[in-house]
Amino acid sequence: MLTRIAGGRVIDPANGRDGVGDVWMRDGRIIDAPQGARAEATYDAAGKIVMAGAIDIHSHIAGWNVNTARLLLPDYHRAAARRPAETPLSNAVLPAFETGCRYAAMGFTTVVEPAVSPHYALHAHLELADIPIIDKATLTVLGNDDYLLGLLHANESDAAIEDYVAWTLDMSRGLGIKVVNAGGAAAFKENVRAFSFDDVVPSYGVSSRRIVKALQHAVNKLGVPHPLHVHCNNLGLAGNAETALTTIAAAEGLPLHLAHLQFYGYGKEGDRGFSSAAAPLAEAVNAVRNVTIDVGQVMFGPTVTISSDVLRQFNARHQARPRKWLILDGDANGAGIVPYDYRRTDFYNAVQWAVGLELFLLIEDPWRVYFTTDHPNGAHFTTYPEIFALLMSRDLRAQWMAELPPAAMAVSTLPSIAREYSLFEIATMTRAAPARLLGLTDRGHLNAGAVADVAVYEDDADRARMFRAAAFLFKDGELVVRDGSVTQVRFGRALTVRPERDRAIDRRMKAYYEDRYGLSDELLKVPEHALGRPEPFERVPCVS
Amino acid sequence: MEQAWIAGKPAALDAAIAEAASLLAASRCPLIAGLGTDIAGARAAIALAQRAGAVIDHMHSEAVLRDLDVMRSSGVMMTTPGETHVRADTLLLAGPGLLEAWPQLPQRLFGKLPHAQGDPGAERRIFWLCPGRDANLAGSTGKIVGKNPGDLAGLIAALRARAAGRPAQKASVSSKTLDEVAAAIKAARFGVAIWSAGTLDALIIEMLCGLVDDLNATTRFSTLPLSAADNADGVLDACGWMAGFPMRTGFGRGFPQHDPWLFDSRRLVDSGETDCVVWISAYRAAAPGWRDAPPTIALTGREAGFRSPPRVHIEVGRPGIDHDGVQHVASLGALASIGATQPSERISVADAIARIAAALPGERSC
Repeated sequence: MLTRIAGGRVIDPANGRDGVGDVWMRDGRIIDAPQGARAEATYDAAGKIVMAGAIDIHSHIAGWNVNTARLLLPDYHRAAARRPAETPLSNAVLPAFETGCRYAAMGFTTVVEPAVSPHYALHAHLELADIPIIDKATLTVLGNDDYLLGLLHANESDAAIEDYVAWTLDMSRGLGIKVVNAGGAAAFKENVRAFSFDDVVPSYGVSSRRIVKALQHAVNKLGVPHPLHVHCNNLGLAGNAETALTTIAAAEGLPLHLAHLQFYGYGKEGDRGFSSAAAPLAEAVNAVRNVTIDVGQVMFGPTVTISSDVLRQFNARHQARPRKWLILDGDANGAGIVPYDYRRTDFYNAVQWAVGLELFLLIEDPWRVYFTTDHPNGAHFTTYPEIFALLMSRDLRAQWMAELPPAAMAVSTLPSIAREYSLFEIATMTRAAPARLLGLTDRGHLNAGAVADVAVYEDDADRARMFRAAAFLFKDGELVVRDGSVTQVRFGRALTVRPERDRAIDRRMKAYYEDRYGLSDELLKVPEHALGRPEPFERVPCVS
Repeated sequence: MEQAWIAGKPAALDAAIAEAASLLAASRCPLIAGLGTDIAGARAAIALAQRAGAVIDHMHSEAVLRDLDVMRSSGVMMTTPGETHVRADTLLLAGPGLLEAWPQLPQRLFGKLPHAQGDPGAERRIFWLCPGRDANLAGSTGKIVGKNPGDLAGLIAALRARAAGRPAQKASVSSKTLDEVAAAIKAARFGVAIWSAGTLDALIIEMLCGLVDDLNATTRFSTLPLSAADNADGVLDACGWMAGFPMRTGFGRGFPQHDPWLFDSRRLVDSGETDCVVWISAYRAAAPGWRDAPPTIALTGREAGFRSPPRVHIEVGRPGIDHDGVQHVASLGALASIGATQPSERISVADAIARIAAALPGERSC
């Protein structure tokens, strides 16, 4: 079907385009305006904003950890089950179906679940298969697993590590590799309670630095488009900006992505020994070209923190609000689920809120700072429209800051920042840049050949209202959302990479699983037929 | 060979499907119970419940919700069967029923620790608190502490007190034994407490979790709650991601509501609140325990032993035997895809429900 989105302001940073014009689609792809052809369907976008579908690179939407958080927080009091929509935690971890509908309503078309343990990969992909409309992808978590630490302990070759990473990506159907507190979860199993970049996992004699460097090199060498995605050590601790700075320096010119940097933006200044260190972090990011970051913005309200950083979650378990938690010593990383309530009146929470916005506003290049709340850890993804509005208006920020503890604003540079994001910069940060970061050459832009994922918004001065409800959303060229309501339910695909490997690793892994666990490695597979959807996967090419 | 029956008489599968759909369409409060099925079957059943406004329950919900109740009201440390196998130098087994829940437990956990980095295959220390009828299953490896499962609550309370250095009330075992166990679990490098919620009450589970949390003040300790049968944990997972709640959730009001009492299948049947039951037991061909059931659509193995023939009975295949299936695998502690060992033409629960759903009037809305 030939479809035309007519007369909107088309903002397409990947192609340097910002002007009134048409977007044409046929058979699920963007096409050049055809000569003399009549569209079978025309959508009037006059006065509206047209962008590619948005891409979220880091949002915990599926898998054992997320699902266990749902079960931990049933939104009900024992005495009486109440309508979920009326209870404050009902948004904390949405079921799969609502996750897809809510993302689509905001104009998102691709979302990455960033923390899948290989042993739970099938579970994660089953959940993703039940998330409608959007396309999905996973990052596979390595870096606390016995096999990798064993390779490093034995000083095995780079090639051996690369083969193992490639095997794991293939088995788990991931789009990239994430490392979460490298070595920290393994050390915690040996009763270590604090773990920094140059600390060593006792049994293996391997430092966090060495694990990160090994994985960074392997991912790069294999041609996986997305650089190693790093969750640093010491998340959430006062003074941890040092850890992030050390990790940035350790990237040594090769690509590296630091996740939810806000949670590492803390200094030790001020009366309470807790302050924003966003400025030096932003300066360090501005000074290098090879490092990208996403923010992990905090917004106020109840949520649940879901992390593969078992050590951090264990140490934070008694801060749970409400007072319940679950810590899993997993086969590799494991998980920690700790509900939390970010409060406006809380000094520390207000500093966290400010740190996130400072990072957004002080990092100059919108191609290297990505829009996330680390959903649901900093805030639920449904708060995105409010955050866009805050980035686009210093007046709105001033209104918010006036309501927050002055002591918190006094240890942050946020009150002095005048920058306001333009729609072009928002489109860069949420469309063009994430597509490039993930190696999705046919997404995040509106040139001919791109996947016809197109979001159309009212040009509303109330930016939060604008981004909350897309006027139209097209997925693969089909209308799926009108005025923020889902009009058609369809199911997307999970994006994967499969780098080349020496097949000898397959025999080694079979033997390893039988020897160490007494289990068949067949149990880890994610067969297409098990997911119950036609064509559940789409392969993204590696770069050579 | 027959595959379907209507009121006990052999029928064509199409006719059974049509009869099931008309029963469901006429029902004011359908119940989908048993739910002994693989993930595909559970997804289909939950989707059907959403569409038909039905209640979903599992035959082992009591045990599942007992563990879950502790989790959603306090703090829980957990680990995996794999980590327990490779790392646990101390096991604290609690109560009977462990081998029923996980028959491979002795072969997986009673042997020496496997050789790992810096950890040359040591013996494990194993204590089994109040194993009751399972005392003879401990073999020569474990030390049995207490016998009668009825003494377990007092024993764990006393153990928790002694491990925290507090005086303990008189327990069912000598104070010397109690102190020996307390010292051993405190000296563990990585200990794991193991139980089956099928035989313990929630209070005991909560005390065990409290004991484990206490022990983590100085050493590493975790828990391994064993799963109930009939893919209960797998169905729990699917309920979580599809409804946001565990089983015992109803969709009658157009949105999911979870209430372990209100949506208990036995209560719904006994009170007469439900007027149509879909009973699913694909693994074992189990029949429901209740007497006077409303019209029932049974998706089970052939010899399910119903007291009277269900209105509709469709013989379904066994996941992992007759057809491939995803289920919770005890030794992995996660969902895995199991290939059919004896592929057959028997219809799967997922396919049977899909056909019933296709025969229902109306469409599902977003």
